[in-house]
Amino acid sequence: MNSLRIKTSACLLFSLISCCGLGAQQQSPGNAETIHETGQQYKQGNTLMGAGDNRLIGRQAASDANLMGRKRLVDLKPNTFLALWNNPLFAAQFEKFLSAPAETSDDARLYRERINKIMELLSPGSATKQNQDVAFNLLTKASEFESDANICTTIHDAVYAAADSRVEIEKLTQLNEKLETERRQEEYNLLQASRDNPFSATATSKNDIVNNNANMAIERQARIDPAKRRLSAVGQTIEQNKMQIASAEGQAKFQLQALILQLFAQRRYQHVIIADRFYRALFDDGDESLASFQRMADQMGYNKAAGQVKLVAEGNPNVAGAVGSGGGPGAGAAAGAGTNGGGASVGNNNYGGGGDGSALSLSGMQFGLQNASVESLMNAVSSAMRTMSRTFKSLSQLDGIANEIIRDVNEGVKVYKYLLEKNELESAGTQLASVFTKGEFLPSVRLLTQDEKRRTLAYAQLCNKLVNSSESGNIDAVQAVVAEIKKQNPSFDDTEIAANIQGIKTASGLHVAQARVAASKGDMQTLQLEITRAASIWPNNPEVQNFSTDMAKLSERASPQVQAVNDFDQLCAQKNFRQIWDDKEKYIAAIAQSPEKQGKLHEVLSRMQDIETTIMKSQEIARHGDYAGAWEGIEVAFQKYPDDPKLAQMRAELTTQAPDFVHDLRAANGFEEKKEYGSALAWYLRSRSRYPMSDLSKEGIQRVVKMILPDAT
Amino acid sequence: MPRKKKSSGLSLWLIVLLVVIVGAAAYFSLHRGGGDSSLRTTEELNPDLYYENANSLRGNTYKIDAEIDSALGNSPSKGRLFSVVLKGGTESGAPLVLPVLVPIELGNLTIQKGQHYLMKVKVVDNGLLRVEEATKP
Repeated sequence: MNSLRIKTSACLLFSLISCCGLGAQQQSPGNAETIHETGQQYKQGNTLMGAGDNRLIGRQAASDANLMGRKRLVDLKPNTFLALWNNPLFAAQFEKFLSAPAETSDDARLYRERINKIMELLSPGSATKQNQDVAFNLLTKASEFESDANICTTIHDAVYAAADSRVEIEKLTQLNEKLETERRQEEYNLLQASRDNPFSATATSKNDIVNNNANMAIERQARIDPAKRRLSAVGQTIEQNKMQIASAEGQAKFQLQALILQLFAQRRYQHVIIADRFYRALFDDGDESLASFQRMADQMGYNKAAGQVKLVAEGNPNVAGAVGSGGGPGAGAAAGAGTNGGGASVGNNNYGGGGDGSALSLSGMQFGLQNASVESLMNAVSSAMRTMSRTFKSLSQLDGIANEIIRDVNEGVKVYKYLLEKNELESAGTQLASVFTKGEFLPSVRLLTQDEKRRTLAYAQLCNKLVNSSESGNIDAVQAVVAEIKKQNPSFDDTEIAANIQGIKTASGLHVAQARVAASKGDMQTLQLEITRAASIWPNNPEVQNFSTDMAKLSERASPQVQAVNDFDQLCAQKNFRQIWDDKEKYIAAIAQSPEKQGKLHEVLSRMQDIETTIMKSQEIARHGDYAGAWEGIEVAFQKYPDDPKLAQMRAELTTQAPDFVHDLRAANGFEEKKEYGSALAWYLRSRSRYPMSDLSKEGIQRVVKMILPDAT
Repeated sequence: MPRKKKSSGLSLWLIVLLVVIVGAAAYFSLHRGGGDSSLRTTEELNPDLYYENANSLRGNTYKIDAEIDSALGNSPSKGRLFSVVLKGGTESGAPLVLPVLVPIELGNLTIQKGQHYLMKVKVVDNGLLRVEEATKP
């Protein structure tokens, strides 16, 4: 997930850098001398820093701003409810719970009834042999429901296995009692065999007595040896049976204890109580300690060979026993080798007068996760189990805590409903999250309706969004979500988040300022460094966008062709066609690469060609002293192209050369516009009399006559 | 000493001479100013004033001494439109060309380019000069 996040961040950053024109390209290195050159380099990239460097810079900047990794934005906030969403696994689970309907179906009700019945049958005072059997049979029925997740079947199997062990232990115990009787007989026989026979009555001499004694010793030894062998065999069998009893009981206890602890870790507190009560029924020796589990936890190993992820508590010890016999107090040593490990033990024992020694070795205990693909996860579980074995010393303790949690959760649900009624959304959400964390599977939690969870769901989704947006580093999104949260929950304390956001914005702004300073100095390396930092910690910073735009403009200015096209557009907008005509070679070359602008250029050039031709003609006419004629030519063109400066200037110059004629014509036009056609006609006639070749005068006369005498022929 | 009385014969001669002069002036005036008594009493048109603001002269009747310049149009309903050149011109030497409308009522008047007319004109709407009388001098 981290790598994915890094990749995503890197892609985003790279895109940003590309947009800003920071992508590395082949370009001659070196710092720019002017801000124009800086702009050009900025756009074309700089070999000093490649995309990888940019990513590193961005990551470092983001890290500096505490945005990545630690989600400092949210970590610092004081809201407990919000803090819960820092754990993505929890957030997903909790959101699922909030969206799920209440378990009010008939199946769910029947399941709850069965679980309650089992607990009732096994409760102290009711746990008769008969009730235990009924409860045991109900386990498989309770397990039929989906919400049970087959846990009752697991308990059923574990109890069955433990009961089997108890039967085997009983048999071995009875066998040992018989063997004890047999051993006592053998001891008596040995005692009788070791007694001396009386002297023979026929012995007459000293030598006879000596011989007789020797024979008696031989006979005595012959009687004792078989008795000894039988006694030793019986003793050995008894010790082996004792070891088997100890082993079987230890294994049964361990498996059940491990299951109870596992259920506790899974927050299946009702199942914990059920399993615990079965445990008490099976092992009624009063031993409630978790010593067996602690021993196993200490020897916990890993088993990744299985195909399913689950906790494994395998109590399959390989037992090696050895008995040493000797004349006096003896010592025994034994070594055992199991499939899963080895063990060694040294023991001594004083046994009766014979001095036998025995030793016991256990090996092959395992506890761990199956099919765990992440080693660290397994180690975490191992550590957790060790911690549990040290935290809980007896099953009674577990039972008590489970009952307490059930009570606490039920009370928490009531508090949640109350807070919801009071519209204290954050406290209600925190309470519900706490209740969910402690007792997700308890009936009071599962019976919460969707309506009761809906408001918290909406609030939770916003909080989840806040965490995600803060993780993305997009402070604009964070700000928007905080505003939305405040809208839903006015008591939401956003002081620290707002302060952090402001701090990040300020930092980004400072980076942009430094980039501008670097740009003015032509320091491309610093520029890129600073702008990348600024964009990384606040991607939507408008200053970054402005900076990029400014630099792009500068770079365009530095490119003659692009600049020419831009100038052409600008001059067209200003209607400064004269400037285009003056630099027409440049624009023709530049526009050749832009077909969409060629039409406009052609229009401009045609217009200017027309103007220039008129000007040339007028100049020629003026050269012959016909200023009125020259003016008239210019005037006609000017009326068509009034925005051409050269035309305007020449018109003004020629006006001074033929002032009376121009004056008469303008007066005529003025009266004509005022519809005083008589006066207008007088002025047109006057202007024509001054310059009989005047087309404007002729046209004016014709127009006005038409107005005065519409039906004139 | 008593003054010598001047001769009364000189005074008579002066009176006779004055009468002769006045009589000659009256004769010339009658013959040069036109035969129509109405033209004699009509004020002459001030061309500069007309060019400047013909509207202010609207409704007035003036006398002009003009030569026909060209025919501008002929309307069966309104009459004929001519341009005429005023005799004398202006002080600046600028030509004084004016448009005059000869209404249908004066349709029997034969007008050709170059003819010299004394015209009684009235400034009508839009500053046009409508001929009311025209006589050859």
